[in-house]
This record gives sequence, C-alpha cells and structure tokens, in this order.
Amino acid sequence: MGRIEYIQKQQKEHSRKVVGALPVHYPKEIFTALDVVPVEIWGPPGPKAGEGAGLLQTYICPIVRNALSFIRSGKADIVDGLLFPHTCDSMQGLATLVPDWLNYKKPVFRFQHPRGSHRPEALNYLRDEISLLVHSLEKAFGLSMNPARLNEALRLHKEAEGLIRLLFSRRLHFKGPDRELYSLIRQGEFLRVEDHIPLLKKAIAEIADRPVHKAIPVMITGYVPEPMAIFDSLNAAGAIVVADDYAGIGRRIPRPTDNRLDDEGGIDAVIRRYLSLPPCSTKTMNPEVRIPYLLSLIKESGAQGVVIHEVKFCEPELFEIASIRNAFEAVGVPVLFLETELEAELSSRTITMIEAFLEVLRKKTKEGAAS
Amino acid sequence: MIRRIRYESMRLVEGPLLLKLQSFLIKRQKKKPDKYPELGPPLKTEERLRKMISMHYLTGRYADGAVPVAWATSGAPVEVLRPLNYHVVYPENHAALCGARHMAMPLLELAESHGYSPDICGYARCDFGTAFGGRTPAGRVPRPDILVACTNICQTVFFWYRELAKHFKVPLVLIDTPFLYGEPLPHQLSYIEAQLRTLADIASDVARRPYDLESLIRSTILGMEGSLLWKQCLEVNKAKPAPWSAFDQFVHMAVIVALRGTEECNSYYRELLDELKDRAKRGIGGIANERHRLLWDNLPVWFKLRSLSGRLASHGFHLMASTYTNAWGETADLLNETDPWRGMAKAYSHIYLNRDLPNKLRVMSNLVKFYECDGVILHSDRSCKPYSLGQISLSEKVSQACGARTMLLEADHIDSRAWAEGPVDTRLQAFMESFK
Repeated sequence: MGRIEYIQKQQKEHSRKVVGALPVHYPKEIFTALDVVPVEIWGPPGPKAGEGAGLLQTYICPIVRNALSFIRSGKADIVDGLLFPHTCDSMQGLATLVPDWLNYKKPVFRFQHPRGSHRPEALNYLRDEISLLVHSLEKAFGLSMNPARLNEALRLHKEAEGLIRLLFSRRLHFKGPDRELYSLIRQGEFLRVEDHIPLLKKAIAEIADRPVHKAIPVMITGYVPEPMAIFDSLNAAGAIVVADDYAGIGRRIPRPTDNRLDDEGGIDAVIRRYLSLPPCSTKTMNPEVRIPYLLSLIKESGAQGVVIHEVKFCEPELFEIASIRNAFEAVGVPVLFLETELEAELSSRTITMIEAFLEVLRKKTKEGAAS
Repeated sequence: MIRRIRYESMRLVEGPLLLKLQSFLIKRQKKKPDKYPELGPPLKTEERLRKMISMHYLTGRYADGAVPVAWATSGAPVEVLRPLNYHVVYPENHAALCGARHMAMPLLELAESHGYSPDICGYARCDFGTAFGGRTPAGRVPRPDILVACTNICQTVFFWYRELAKHFKVPLVLIDTPFLYGEPLPHQLSYIEAQLRTLADIASDVARRPYDLESLIRSTILGMEGSLLWKQCLEVNKAKPAPWSAFDQFVHMAVIVALRGTEECNSYYRELLDELKDRAKRGIGGIANERHRLLWDNLPVWFKLRSLSGRLASHGFHLMASTYTNAWGETADLLNETDPWRGMAKAYSHIYLNRDLPNKLRVMSNLVKFYECDGVILHSDRSCKPYSLGQISLSEKVSQACGARTMLLEADHIDSRAWAEGPVDTRLQAFMESFK
C-alpha cells in the first residue's frame, strides 16, 4: 500500500489525524500515543519546481526547497497539519514562511528541541517543549493524552527500533539488496508503528543462519538516503551497507546500552529516549562524542570503508565532514565523500566515484589478506 | 607574568606609541585623488575609531596567557564576560575586517584545503583559516580559553563553534535561544536565563575569578547605554540629507560589536553622535547629492563597501539605513539592570534574526517609513541562509506595504567568488533607472 492510500485509509476508516513531519528529530511516541499519524516529508524528489521553488534561493538546501515545492504543489494537502522540528536555519525559516506568508490554513506545530547540553535547564526546557507539543496536538485535533497509551507507544517504538538494530547487525544474513532493506525501514516514515513492526518481524524471520552476502561491508553516514539509487550503485559495485548513521535512519535509533529506558514511563521516558539517541550534527553540542561514536560503529559493524553521503548546502552536516574524514583516515579507513541534490537518479560521475572507491577497498582487502 | 607585562605594555605604552606613529605616517602619505568624489566628507571620528579597533587587535596579540580570552559570536551576551576581565574576540568582526581589507580569500581557501565546504558560511571559513594559522590583518588573534556561541543570530554558529571547540579543545558554552514565532513563551525565557547563569559559572571557573553581580549590573547598564547611543546615532539619519551612509555605519558598528559593555564604547558613540548632529545641522550628507534614500537588508558585501557606495552615490542614491546596523540598537530597552538575567534573556532572544518573517517585514517597513526611503536593496547573501531565506517574498511584501522599489542583489558578504561584476552592474543600473 502506498503512502496516499495509507493516509486516506487512516483518515477515512479510522478517523485518525495525519501530520506532515519535516526532518528530523521529534518525539514520535507522542504522536503514536495520541493516535496521530506522522508522515515524514524529506524534500521528496519529484514535484515540479514551480511557484514554491521560486520563493527560495538556489543555495538553500534542496530538502527545504523541495519540501516547499511539495507543499505549494498541493501534494501535502492530504495531511491535517504540519510539524516543523528545530533542525537548522533553513527549516526554521520554512517554519515561518509556510504558515505566515503562504496561506497555509491547517494547524502548524513546532518542536524546538534544545541544542547541545544535557544540563538540567535543557532537560526542563525539553520537558516543556514536549508538553507544549502535546497540548497543541490535543487542542488542534480535540484529543486527550492517556498516560497508559504513552507507555504503550514507548514500548512499541522501542520494539521497532530494536528490530531495525537487529536487521543492521545481521545485515549479511538478510538476503535482499540495500534498497530493499532501506525501503522497509523507511516505511516507518509513514506507517504507524503498529503496522511497521509486523513488516520488520517478517524480514527478520527470513534472516538466514549464515551470511548470504560476500560483498565488502561499508558504513554510510549523511542526512537522508536519497536518491535511493545510491544503494543500487553500491551493491552493483560490490559493497553492502552494514552500519548506518544517516540523520533520518541510524541517528533516530537510541543506543541499546541505555537501560534507563526500562525504568521510566511518561514524558520522562520520552526525554530519556531523546538523550539516548546517537550524536547528530543537528543537535549535539559536545564536540567529543560524535567521532568516538562513529569509530565505535565502524568497529562493531566490521565495515571496511565509510561513505559520507550529503545533500548539497546542508550546513549542519557540511561543517562536520572535515573532522569525520580526518578521524577515519587517521585510523586507515578509506572514506568516500558524495554530495548529491535530491535528484531521482545518481549522476554518472557519482557512480564512477563509487566504483573507484570499491576498487580501493578491494585493493586494501587484498593487501590486508596478503600481509 | 611575562605575558601579562607584555599585554599591559602593549595596552599602555607600545600600543599608543604605535598608533601615533601610524597616524603620523598616514598624514605624510600623499593624498590620492578621490575615486568617488560623490561621497560626503569623511567623519572626523573615523580616526578615533581606527585607533580603538587597532588597539583592540594590538592588545589581543598578547592577550592569551595574560588575561582570559573568549571567542564569542556577535549576538552573545558579552555583559556576562566583561566583569571577569575577558579579552573578547569576535570572529565575525575579525572576518569582516579581513573582508574589508581584501584579505579574506586566502583564509577561506586555507579552510577549504582542510576539508571545509565552500558552501558553509564564509565568516566561519575565514575563522577556520585564521585558526589554522592563516595571515590576518590583525597580525595575530589570541587563542581562546572559552568559546561562547549564541544561536540568536543563526544556528550556523552552533555548528561553527563546535568545530572551534574540537580544534582548540576548550570549553564551549552555547546559549540556545529558541526562535521566536511571535512573542517568547515563559519557559523559553527561563531556559535562556538559566543558560546565562551557567555561562557566568563556567566563565568564572575558566577565568578563576569569582562572579560579582554588581559588576554584571554595571556592564549591563553600560551595554544598554551603548546600544541606545548607537540607536541614536542611526536615528540622526532622519535628517535630509542623512549625515552618514549605511556604508559608514557598517564600519562604525565595529565598536558596538567588539567593545559593547564598556565605557570606552559609550564615550566613542557620544562623540560620534555629536558629530552626526552637527553634520545634520549644517546639512552635510553622507553623499554629496542625495536624491534617493535606500535601505539595505542583510550583511554588507565587505569587499565592495566603497565601490558599491560610490557607484550608488554617483547617481544620487544614498544607502543610508540598514536592517543589519539597526539590529544592534533595537533591543537595548529590553535590558534591565534591576533584573539583569531576565532582561538579557529578553534582549538576546528578540534579535531581528531570531524572529519570524512577519516581524522582519514590520521592522523593514518601519525603517522605510521612518527614514523615508524610496528603495530597498536586499542582499541575497549566499553565506547567510537565515538572513536570506524569505527575502524573495519579503521584497514583494515590503514593496506592497510601503511603495518602495526593491531589488535583490546576489552576492556574499565575504567570498568574492560569489560576486559577478557584470550581472550586479546590470541589475543595479536597471534598479536605478526605475526611479526615473
């Protein structure tokens, strides 16, 4: 079932409200608990550059430009409201442009999560922002938060996240290509978690006892896995993604080591979950945590190279490229940097770069085996 | 101790002597024929400005190891640092200096050679280039003991200072100011206030000096007074002809950025205000023949200040107000010496760039009306996404609201590679002709 059909079904058959959620971090459990369906808008490739695109300069990131085009083209009219998390300057600007000047009449929600520290003031503020979001959703849609339902939502999301982690940890045992795995995970961008879990479980049931891939394992980091053709090219060149640090995928899955999640319920648990997320360029202040996290991720996954895949003009990400690249090169891990727009397909230049990178990895593997 | 002696010596003896020597040499220089005779006579206070800023950078060369050094964003609450005797470096101010002196490009390229993308903010790249040891007109910028970034001007500073913290391995204190969609909510102000108190604690630890609330109140009052004086200086431009241009303001704002919260800053603006009032009284304008008055939106194009100013002036266009310079005076009355923390939380969150588009339109329209501008140039600044996003709609709306003619000028505040002489010239020509 496609997104549109799914959304319509939720609205018509179940009388559920659907909110278009812009990237990247927001407390999804709150939506689940309120029975509101968030459908994520990652600047989808496709909508024609029309009136919307002309309202933003070409040096604004394509996620924001495409999202604006998408909203202006009427393709987002199906949702009952929009959510703008506090991600970057461009998203912040879009969160005033759309409701204030583009005649968007449906409810608009904003979630300004704290930047940086985990000091008490930041946590108090986060609690207030989450409460404000709950209150805004309740008021806009005539809903009421049930604490028991919130705890159930937390449990469901934790289960789904555990299943995704398992899929990555057993990646070489999962038969399908990367596109299939990512398509499955990305269904969580619009499916209710209750509908997503069975699909994830079905995939896990198909995991073989032994590895079925002989490809070179790589790790990928970036903002969003678009265009998905990147996986086709990686697989065709002989690589397979075993570790993920996309802002839209891996960085939204809390680290499993945090047992505190089990001890708490309610808003406190939502906060704890937020704190347990892997470091992200858009929200983590401590300069000491991201690089060690990425180095541990590659070590645990056994990946032999890193693909940094960024969307052009994405400032939060672009600032960190140099230090990520330096950190991996310092430990002898080859790095490929790819910068793409949100085009439907990859350019032939990018495909050639991927092929050349795999040559390097193959050579390095042979040298390693010989020594 | 040696560093301290060196620092004090530069501040009290060598610096003043060097500046005297510099003034002497400048006076002896043969005067070149004025390339832009259409510009008004230079402000007399320029000499004092040059000395103050030179002194700031000269003493800065010896500040690390002598006094605590902070690198701070231009919108950071410097009042908190002043009582702790910090030498405060403003990387944005330094980058603007590099841009105006045409020395920015090698620094940008140095940062890019270290892997930084040419698509990130030019100020940040200039700063990274400086940190990597590039040549700067300041001679040397002192190493920081602490980094203070406030997101009220952009989120970019958060990403930028995080990189600086990795490089210098010093504490980074972030003042995270929630973006204001409308007015601030109580929990947002409380959050900012708590972060300001945290800044005071960390800055006090780094400086190894106890925090003194009395001194904070004093520096708050000085900061408030300085901002109000700056605002008054700008408002003198209601006179016709306006006694100084926005290009002059871009240069003279260096003091409110770099020395805010000091008596030195306030004394300077008192002198400037007197001079501007005198010029207004005597009908001396920022340009020789003011026929049209223009408002500028966004950061200046630092490396084209004089040529752009001369180009417009030669056609009787006086760019005499800007949203950028206005931003340094517009929240002064929110500071409050009886409740300094809350006052700062309010003042530092109400910054122009931290507010929604309707507020931008309101401010811009008010400026157009107040200064009786008949045109607006909106600098679409490739380096500055938060200032530039929304300008296409803003241009149309301000035109509708005030009847002012508007144009969008594509450039960058510091990266000269984004400057296309031909297209800029054509657009400016067409814009100016539309007034005929």
